[in-house]
Amino acid sequence: MILTPKITARLVIVGLFGVLLQLTFFSRVELFHVSPDVLPALVVSFGLLGGTMTGAVSGFAIGFLLDCLLIQPIGGASLVLIAVGYAAGTFRERFEIHSRLVVPLMCAILTFLAELGFGAVEAMFGIETDVSVLVVRDMLIKSLFAFFLGWAIYAGMRRLVRPALVDEATVRRTRRPTVLGA
Amino acid sequence: MYRKQVRRRRAVLALLVVGSFALLTLTYGQGSNGLQRGVTAVFAPVSSIFDRALKPARDLINWVDETFDARGKNHRLEEELQIARKEAVGGKAAVAENAELHKLLKFDQSGAIPEGIEPVTARVIGLSPTVWFSDVMIDVGTGEGVRPGDPVVNGDGLIGHVSAATGSTAKVTLISDHSSAVSVRVVPAGVQGIVKATVGEPNRLVLSFLNSDKNIHKGESVVTAGWHGEGIESRFPPNIPVGEVTRATIFEQEAQERSVVRPYADLRNLDTVQVLTGGASK
Repeated sequence: MILTPKITARLVIVGLFGVLLQLTFFSRVELFHVSPDVLPALVVSFGLLGGTMTGAVSGFAIGFLLDCLLIQPIGGASLVLIAVGYAAGTFRERFEIHSRLVVPLMCAILTFLAELGFGAVEAMFGIETDVSVLVVRDMLIKSLFAFFLGWAIYAGMRRLVRPALVDEATVRRTRRPTVLGA
Repeated sequence: MYRKQVRRRRAVLALLVVGSFALLTLTYGQGSNGLQRGVTAVFAPVSSIFDRALKPARDLINWVDETFDARGKNHRLEEELQIARKEAVGGKAAVAENAELHKLLKFDQSGAIPEGIEPVTARVIGLSPTVWFSDVMIDVGTGEGVRPGDPVVNGDGLIGHVSAATGSTAKVTLISDHSSAVSVRVVPAGVQGIVKATVGEPNRLVLSFLNSDKNIHKGESVVTAGWHGEGIESRFPPNIPVGEVTRATIFEQEAQERSVVRPYADLRNLDTVQVLTGGASK
């Protein structure tokens, strides 16, 4: 991705919008008694479109904003989302995304790992109460939501930053050239 | 060239990770800092607009979930149940309190909520996204007299306490959060204990008994006891309904000295709450 000031502004707006939407909408709706968490999927999309640096920086920024708005120790969510963004970016830089299932699967797997990461950060500070096995069920359902929502988030973001995508020109060139006079 | 690029990427990654750890170390244990107060001051109005605008969509999805789960609720019946529950719990608490007062031959009865406490109504504008925290953000803060430690209730009963506050917003740590501990009393049995959460199950609180000489039974009500001790940060006024005992076999009480409580308040669907400001928590 070529990061021009215009594209950077778009990414910042998407990040802000994503965090606000998560706190005011997704966290407060329930399906199967579980609320979707779209932020890891959003960071995965940043990583898959922009690479390791974009993924890690967006993960840090989104985590930072989340911690600020939730008035919790700053840095915990950032740590987890940096790892998510960097992992997605590394995947993008090392492998070609051939199948349409790759993006939703990445979103689902990394959302599950992010939830584990949030748990690990919380455990670092000490959890003094019982932890139910249902936490695993909740994390799996969140991953399932990320599978479906991640695809939509990625498609939307791809459309939004299309002018900056390096490989987009290649995709457009797949149409066979018209030979004049043939 | 490529190696230089890789080195630069790793350096940025290391910087971000070290920065996160540094921020975590600096801000851990603080209620709220200047940065958070600034950010929330800017975003609170936007969050409030988002919250109001998205309410119909949220309600629609939650309605689908409830219908799917065959939990269709009748608004009128819920209101009636709420009133009846309040009366029942209030009555049981009053009977138990009356008996104690008769025993002590003291007739100066104090109110359920001590004098000087002023409820401040607030809207929930944000909720923590992970399964590990049970925090909500509300649209009132120190500007409205809200202070860390203030108890928070809704029409059903106790919700939690204010754990951090900025000028215009506050964080409420719910009773289903792993860091929460509430001193409670079972009525009419009079057994005292501490209610703690179970991570991953917001509708399951664990009541650890402090004195288990009396048996408690399923369906009995749990109300706040009003005292605080080690690990119990907020001082809740006495007799606020917390929940009802859902599992209390004699064997469990004797073997584990604990029981299971279901909170009255639906902690996953909170819209309007009340902060009891001006209490003894300050």
